[in-house]
Amino acid sequence: MEPKPMDDIDNTLQNSGLSAPPITVKRTVTSTGARITTQIKEDDPEDSEEVKPVKSLVEDKVVVSENVCSDCLAGSVEGVKSSRTRFEEFIKAANTKIVSEEECLKTQRKEEPQVNNEIPEKSVKEEPDVGFEAKAPSVPETSVKNMSYQEWLQFRGYAKSSGEGTNSHEKKVKPEGLETARFANVRVREEPRLFAENKVNVKEESVRSSLWSKPQGVKKEKVEEQRASAGLVEDGDFPDDPDWFLVGRTLVTALSTTKGRKLVDNEIVNFTFPSPSSRYNMQWIVRFSTKRSGEIGRLPMEWAKCVVPLVCSNKVKVLGRCVAAPANLSLMQEIMLYVSFYIHHSIFLDGDKSSWRLDGCRSIDSTVYPLLTLFNLLKNKPFQKADFTPAELDSRKRLLNLEGDSEEAASMLPIVKRGKGCQQFPEQNKDEQTITESSLNKLMGAAEVYNLEEMEPPNTLLCDLRPYQKQALYWMSKLEQGIDVEKAAETLHPCWSAYRICDGRASSIYVNVFSGEATTKFPTATQVARGGILADAMGLGKTVMTIALILARRGRGCPDNEELDTKTADSAQITKKRKIDSHINISSKAKGGTLIVCPMALLGQWKDELETHSEPESISIFVHYGGDRTNNPNVIAEHDVVLTTYGVLTAAYKSDAEDSIFHKVSWYRVVLDEAHTIKSWKTLGAQAACALSSHCRWCLTGTPLQNNLEDLYSLLCFLHVEPWCNWAWWNKLIQKPYENGDPRGMKLIKAILRPLMLRRTKETKDKEGRPILVLPPTDIQIIECEQSEAEHDFYNALFRKSKVQFDQFVAQGKVLHNFANILELLLRLRQCCNHPFLVMSRADSQKYTDLNKLAKRFLETNTDSSTNQTVQTRAYIEEVVEGIRRGDNMECPICMEFADDPVLTPCAHRMCRECLLSSWRTPTSGLCPICRQLLKKTELITCPTESQFRVDVESNWKESSKVSKLLDCLEQICESGSGEKSIVFSQWTSFLDLLEIPLKRRGVGFLRFDGKLVQKQRERVLKEFSETKDKMVLLMSLKAGGVGLNLTAASHVFLMDPWWNPAVEEQAIMRIHRIGQKRTVRVRRFIVRDTVEERMQQVQARKQRMIAGALTEEEVRTARIEELKMLFR
Amino acid sequence: MANSNLPRRIIKETQRLLSEPAPGISASPSEDNMRYFNVMILGPTQSPYEGGVFKLELFLPEEYPMAAPKVRFLTKIYHPNIDKLGRICLDILKDKWSPALQIRTVLLSIQALLSAPNPDDPLSENIAKHWKTNEAEAVETAKEWTRLYASGA
Repeated sequence: MEPKPMDDIDNTLQNSGLSAPPITVKRTVTSTGARITTQIKEDDPEDSEEVKPVKSLVEDKVVVSENVCSDCLAGSVEGVKSSRTRFEEFIKAANTKIVSEEECLKTQRKEEPQVNNEIPEKSVKEEPDVGFEAKAPSVPETSVKNMSYQEWLQFRGYAKSSGEGTNSHEKKVKPEGLETARFANVRVREEPRLFAENKVNVKEESVRSSLWSKPQGVKKEKVEEQRASAGLVEDGDFPDDPDWFLVGRTLVTALSTTKGRKLVDNEIVNFTFPSPSSRYNMQWIVRFSTKRSGEIGRLPMEWAKCVVPLVCSNKVKVLGRCVAAPANLSLMQEIMLYVSFYIHHSIFLDGDKSSWRLDGCRSIDSTVYPLLTLFNLLKNKPFQKADFTPAELDSRKRLLNLEGDSEEAASMLPIVKRGKGCQQFPEQNKDEQTITESSLNKLMGAAEVYNLEEMEPPNTLLCDLRPYQKQALYWMSKLEQGIDVEKAAETLHPCWSAYRICDGRASSIYVNVFSGEATTKFPTATQVARGGILADAMGLGKTVMTIALILARRGRGCPDNEELDTKTADSAQITKKRKIDSHINISSKAKGGTLIVCPMALLGQWKDELETHSEPESISIFVHYGGDRTNNPNVIAEHDVVLTTYGVLTAAYKSDAEDSIFHKVSWYRVVLDEAHTIKSWKTLGAQAACALSSHCRWCLTGTPLQNNLEDLYSLLCFLHVEPWCNWAWWNKLIQKPYENGDPRGMKLIKAILRPLMLRRTKETKDKEGRPILVLPPTDIQIIECEQSEAEHDFYNALFRKSKVQFDQFVAQGKVLHNFANILELLLRLRQCCNHPFLVMSRADSQKYTDLNKLAKRFLETNTDSSTNQTVQTRAYIEEVVEGIRRGDNMECPICMEFADDPVLTPCAHRMCRECLLSSWRTPTSGLCPICRQLLKKTELITCPTESQFRVDVESNWKESSKVSKLLDCLEQICESGSGEKSIVFSQWTSFLDLLEIPLKRRGVGFLRFDGKLVQKQRERVLKEFSETKDKMVLLMSLKAGGVGLNLTAASHVFLMDPWWNPAVEEQAIMRIHRIGQKRTVRVRRFIVRDTVEERMQQVQARKQRMIAGALTEEEVRTARIEELKMLFR
Repeated sequence: MANSNLPRRIIKETQRLLSEPAPGISASPSEDNMRYFNVMILGPTQSPYEGGVFKLELFLPEEYPMAAPKVRFLTKIYHPNIDKLGRICLDILKDKWSPALQIRTVLLSIQALLSAPNPDDPLSENIAKHWKTNEAEAVETAKEWTRLYASGA
């Protein structure tokens, strides 16, 4: 510390105004090592000469500073001496670094000539600030700092005493030499950098010495030295501190909070940081003060915000001095500070390669990171930039101004996330959100021509692959290989940027631009996921492609890439270390082959296909399900392929978490079939899948996106795709923009998926422009029906009633609030188009003739079977029957819905047939869930289905126009004698019930398939349908079925009612139009003219456009209401 | 989201539990998993558990309602049919489960079990033995435990 006498202050103050700008420039230059390469050659001889005195200093220093190995020091000094020769070597070893350093400092260098020529005399005083004094109050390493400070004083004293009576030139060199010594001291730990650092130093020195030797500078320095004992102004040098590496320095314009003559140029200011417990509005206030005058001012907010968390982390300290301030301060005046930022060396130590987050425990949703902010503010550009950065994504202007009605805007989106009003129609709502195949293609960019190479499957695969399947095999193999490992290890992970700080001693700092995580260990691209999403449309043979992959690329556990990694440039050691760590981690796990997780229904299919398509004995398959389970991870790891279900995996994870049998194995490959099963990322199932340890990861799904963009998030999580498996980033950059109608979300998701996902559809063309899969054509026609007069009257009456209600909602401006009600109005209208019976009012006073019959039979049965069972009282039974007669639709005690296909038990309990049967352990008998009486299936009494229609449909049967048309079509097909089979789809099972009546009457054999069938029954019905020669019609509910349903036995499709979302219809058609279909598929869609159905067609078309993004924002906003108005026109 | 595939029945049951709670019983689903309920049962009057507030957890398995919910006491309780892990010996939670039973009925049954310990079908041998050999003393212990573990908190 060199206090100045008071009389010098005025002098300094006078100068301050003038000197500030040139000083700035000068400082910028000296604070960096930028000029190494340019000046080093000419200065070298001088350097080595000048460095000589250093040696003695260093030796002295060894005595002073305890834990430095003198050998090393000597070596380092020697390094300094012979630096010229070694420099060549160094350049060779580290030339990339120098280049980037230059690049990083290019701007500063431009100003260099100016510095040297114009203002040498000013710079003299500033020279020493290479080693600012450590004075940040909140830095914890006080002991270290104090010690070094003492050392510094000691050196200082030494320099002074030895400098006494000698010429000024010598005097200059000595403090510099001290610095060198100190640098060397630190450098010992960083062997590879040793010479580079010496170089930096030597060069700085030489620059300085040339400056120092100018007469003015010397004079001034002398003056300062003389005054050193009396003053109050603290403006000395900051000592070089071996523990703190300079990140960078810059000018900061702070604001004064005090008045008066408080500050002189070059005076050191001390920063005071808020304590973590500071009140909320105080937490970003960084004050600074001088020793003389106390508080002076505060840092601007932008700096404070990034500096406070950094300093609180104890890894960063901040030093500064004033460079320009008004002589007489008043409040809120600008004060130019020259601020240096240091980072603690501990983060560069080899021992601590763990990553650190300087933002401490901030909330995960935060996407602003102080270290990155600091680098930005310091204009420290990464020398290697992340492939994509949030800044790029943020910088583009927001396109959509939501004007406070985000709720409404969001609800009008094609893919509705929150449909508040729709709760009463969960199923409808669910279907409505389903995305159509074609819009999915648009979102996912399918149907482009894929120009992939083909890969021949191994000969252990027993079936022939189509060309597009060979392409998939090639693609999957490539993805599994990843970028070749060697390259990957040298390649920076795409989410990380590499920064170099000013202090050349420090290694590079890598910062994850998405998570803010910082590390000094090289984040390699090998950490990027291997695998992807095979999202070929339904029916293209994803299973076979996967089997080919399994046969073509066998492996166990995580292959050891270690030997390949070692060549990696400057991160080799680190990478190796990491590899070894992870290796140890993995080696404790059994090394497994391929794990396939699929829905239970497909377990058998997978096993069959694996067995039929692979050469016998070529692979071993183990089904880990039901009784065939084992608890030994080594047993399942022995097999090439292990099959299990999501349920089993989830249950195992639930009970044993990471210790479950699946998680104890290090798999080579995990395949999730129907991967959309884990679309809800918060579910245990999704977490269980994510937690699996595997080399390669695959998702198979025809619908990667089912009804929400979030579905994809879960898949990306499973695939470990960074940074998108971080919810904060996903939400900020994709989910939110997408929900707000900002197209960038969609663009980004496309960019993310492009390399990760392969999606072809039946329309995809090969290189020659031929479709990759040739299927018989489809012939889709709309059959328009004309209502009969009676039908029309009924419909009109209903329509008018509904419209009055709708218009009321519109008038009240409550359309969206009454969405559920409106949907119900529409539902009735749509059902009316199918058949008026579906909506006949409950108040209808039809006689339930059948009911009396029923009651009679029921009572008889009850007394008959009452051998030893509890008999309900007659009164109770009569009450039940009366209830049925009144049409009270009671709630099923099991599903708690209004009973669908209700049955009566002999004990007079009512419930859904389906619910009752599925509660039984055997198909023929079981206990009554309510009274535990033993029941036989034959004893169950079917409640009159008539109650569903509230009219006796059978005796009053009348065909609606739609039904007539359908029957005509069916009869034509039958008469043609072609033996073609038909499937009739409706979304209402009650309509299928109605259809049964005329079919029975006309003697048309039919089968029925709907959601009420349990898995076994479904299989039986489908098998029968594909084999039968009598039952040519299958009545099917649109929602039934689901995964893997193959209906190629039929070639006629009748869609009885239009559905809101064409996707559902498309899926239905897809079940028939798929591999194995040999005939032209004829699709007939029935639309009743001049009804809501016709308008729904328009809505569908509009919806398609909306999903495709063809509507403008404004259109989207009003779309929902418009849509509804359209229907009630 | 995690709860999108929740069966109607669970939604309905939850709504009813919240809108018309059974006396002395509160059950509310966890926010992140609608199949997981936090349950509190007040010790029935004129039982050794009177004055106690017993916390339980209840989980509806995937198969629910075809399989019984899984229920466990979280609060320590001295009861012959409840073991030290809080597991409950109650037939309707095991082989006597019926899909017509509900969360509400299960919890009411548990409440009833507190009123009527059944040492003849014990889960906790020691406590059952204690109950059978010296009921008065066992009841005292139960009261003591209630005071210690189930009061207030």
